[in-house]
Amino acid sequence: MIEVKNITKSTKEGRQILKGISFKAKKGDFIGILGPSGAGKTLTMRCLNGLTKPTTGEILITIDNQVHDIAKNKGKELRQMRQKIGVVFQGFNLVKRLSVLENVMIGKLGQINQFRSLFKGFNNEEAQKAYEALEKVKIEKLAKRKVASLSGGEMQRVAIARAIFQEPVILLADEPIANLDPTNAKKIMKRLKPLSEEMPVIGVFHQPEIASKYCNRIIALKDGTVVYDGNSDISEDLLMDIYGDELQEIENQALVSAPLA
Amino acid sequence: MSLVIDHPYLIPSERLKKRAFIFSVLAIIVIGLSIILDLNPLLFFTDGHHLINLLGEMVPPNVDILWEKKSIFSSILETLAMAFLGTCFGGGIALGIAFLAATNTSPHPVFRFIFRGLMSIERVIPKLVIILVFVIAVGLGPFAGMLTLTIGTIGMFGKLFADAIEEVDPEPVEATYATGASKLQVIKYCIIPQVLPSFTANLFYAFDVNLRSAIGLGIFGGGGIGFEIHMAMKMLRYKDALALILFTIILISIFEKFSDYLRAQILNEQTLK
Amino acid sequence: MKKTTIKRIALLLVIAALLYMSMLVCNVSLGALSKGIVDGIAFLGEMFPPDFSALPDMIYPAVETIMISFLATFFGALLSFFFALAGASNISPMWLKSISRFFMATERALPEIIIILLLVAALGLGPFPGVIALAIGCIGMLGRLFSDAIEEVNAKTIESVQSAGATKIQVIQYVIIPEILPSLISNTLFRFEVNTRLSVLLGAVGAGGIGYEIFYSFQLLEYERATTAILVVLLLVFMSERVSDYFRKKILSNTKLK
Repeated sequence: MIEVKNITKSTKEGRQILKGISFKAKKGDFIGILGPSGAGKTLTMRCLNGLTKPTTGEILITIDNQVHDIAKNKGKELRQMRQKIGVVFQGFNLVKRLSVLENVMIGKLGQINQFRSLFKGFNNEEAQKAYEALEKVKIEKLAKRKVASLSGGEMQRVAIARAIFQEPVILLADEPIANLDPTNAKKIMKRLKPLSEEMPVIGVFHQPEIASKYCNRIIALKDGTVVYDGNSDISEDLLMDIYGDELQEIENQALVSAPLA
Repeated sequence: MSLVIDHPYLIPSERLKKRAFIFSVLAIIVIGLSIILDLNPLLFFTDGHHLINLLGEMVPPNVDILWEKKSIFSSILETLAMAFLGTCFGGGIALGIAFLAATNTSPHPVFRFIFRGLMSIERVIPKLVIILVFVIAVGLGPFAGMLTLTIGTIGMFGKLFADAIEEVDPEPVEATYATGASKLQVIKYCIIPQVLPSFTANLFYAFDVNLRSAIGLGIFGGGGIGFEIHMAMKMLRYKDALALILFTIILISIFEKFSDYLRAQILNEQTLK
Repeated sequence: MKKTTIKRIALLLVIAALLYMSMLVCNVSLGALSKGIVDGIAFLGEMFPPDFSALPDMIYPAVETIMISFLATFFGALLSFFFALAGASNISPMWLKSISRFFMATERALPEIIIILLLVAALGLGPFPGVIALAIGCIGMLGRLFSDAIEEVNAKTIESVQSAGATKIQVIQYVIIPEILPSLISNTLFRFEVNTRLSVLLGAVGAGGIGYEIFYSFQLLEYERATTAILVVLLLVFMSERVSDYFRKKILSNTKLK
């Protein structure tokens, strides 16, 4: 269970990028966050797992029946919260020279004793659990391969298994399918969907049609505010409303940045 | 608990055993060798004060020696001259040999075999041996040092040059042959322009390497700044020695930066064209 | 005349002048050289045949050279790794990075022979100063190569592991080391070859080993004995090259992608 209460974020120069975003997510939610570039999607995600601190507002996450505010926590407490937040990145961010299974186990580094990780490493029980996480995304057969030898779609599934293995209370996915071809993108969405039965899954997506097909809830951002929060049957009008300016903006940006390049 | 995973590569306890085995073997070797060589870590504590004493005696460096003692100036010149001549002569000869030793320019495979063989033998012979022989042949001094560096440059850069020639793009070469050009013409108009930038860049690198070796060779009879440092240490004039060492570090650093810069310039120019 | 032609001629003149002056400084003379060649060849005659009866005396120094080189490479690589961590911008704070990089650059500019002269002056003769000098000598080269390798590790991978709550030591153990292992191994093996050559040179100033044999055979004018020592050195250097090549290939093909 996660509750975002009216978060704002301003740059050092005082420009407000997030202008008060609020939403709640609970078990069963598979939320797709949509919006044109610059709407604040990625920044919102960074706030959700504590990589960035919002200027004002609260982000309440319930862990073991206790409510924590990730926007306020620092240091050790923040690290402990993060262990309970699974994150999947656009660039997979795996350790290429370790095996698939080891990459999954790395997800729990924060939860094991420093001394043990240095001298003993993981134990067999953890390996077993990691293997089960791989089974959930159906790539257990690749367990002993080096990550560098996998395809992009396989790597992203390993990343999801790593997030599951953390036994998180919430799963965040920052543009998880942006680097993948359509077939692999669909496979990833299919793996993410059932996970939402155990924990809220929140993803940022660039492709509205895929998001509306697999997610059961859509949150649309524009200029740092929520312009839509509802079921995934999004209308053509809404899409035009969200993305309509983007083309024009891209053209303007091209004109402005051309002399610099 | 029964494991679904069966491969030892995947089972952490198996991997831990393997890792522990490798580490203990390495530890036994290292500790064993240390015992054989009398490397006692306690020496750091019992003899550590010797090092600190030495450092104490070295500070502050007697910087004045750099301009007060006349021989220092000529020693610096000697070291630089040794490195410069070694690079020029060695580089020139290496260039000639490279053409004889590269498959695509060699007049006969026999040349290639002989020169490649000689160069690889040279690379294995320690510089110490070469300088000792030259000191006997031409006497102590920078001349012997310069000859050693020349030989060393031939061995190392002759191979690099020959490899560069062999990596030349064969298509323009064949095209030029097709127009009826002779081998020498092909070398002059086709191969040299392609390899020249990398040759020049490597020569600057060679100067870098030779400057460092020139300092080491000084100690064994090559003269120059290395010899001065050696003498200063032998005569327990540690403050002088530190001044010379600091000067050496600065000298080498400056030439390294300078040669890095020129090398980058040359190689950039080539890619722009 | 074209400007480039003038430039070229000027450059040639400068080089010629530098060459001439350098030759004066180095007392280069063709007479000395031709006499030197005659003397040198006559001298090489004195070096043959090698005195193989001295061979048994060479065995321990040869083994000692290899041991010095091995230990120095081991400790040197270990030291270099810590300097590399301190000198990599993606895991080390700016001030520490600058200090470490400055130290490594200074060490690179300091010839090994000078380090050993200092250590011999402080600690006396023997393999102990030799091993330490060679180990310190590794830092400049290996430290820089390692830290460049560390800086190439994907910053996002590090961030993502940290975001799952891992500490810095865990990041180093589980991300950095696996990713740079190939560079770690192949450069360390290469340094073993370099150290073997250097330990021969260092032996001559008192670090023990086979270099000492060569130098003192020359000093005692026992040239035939020196030849034997030289042959042993050639064998050592050649073998260290083979061994390091063998392990490099073997280990790298192991860590290679399956």
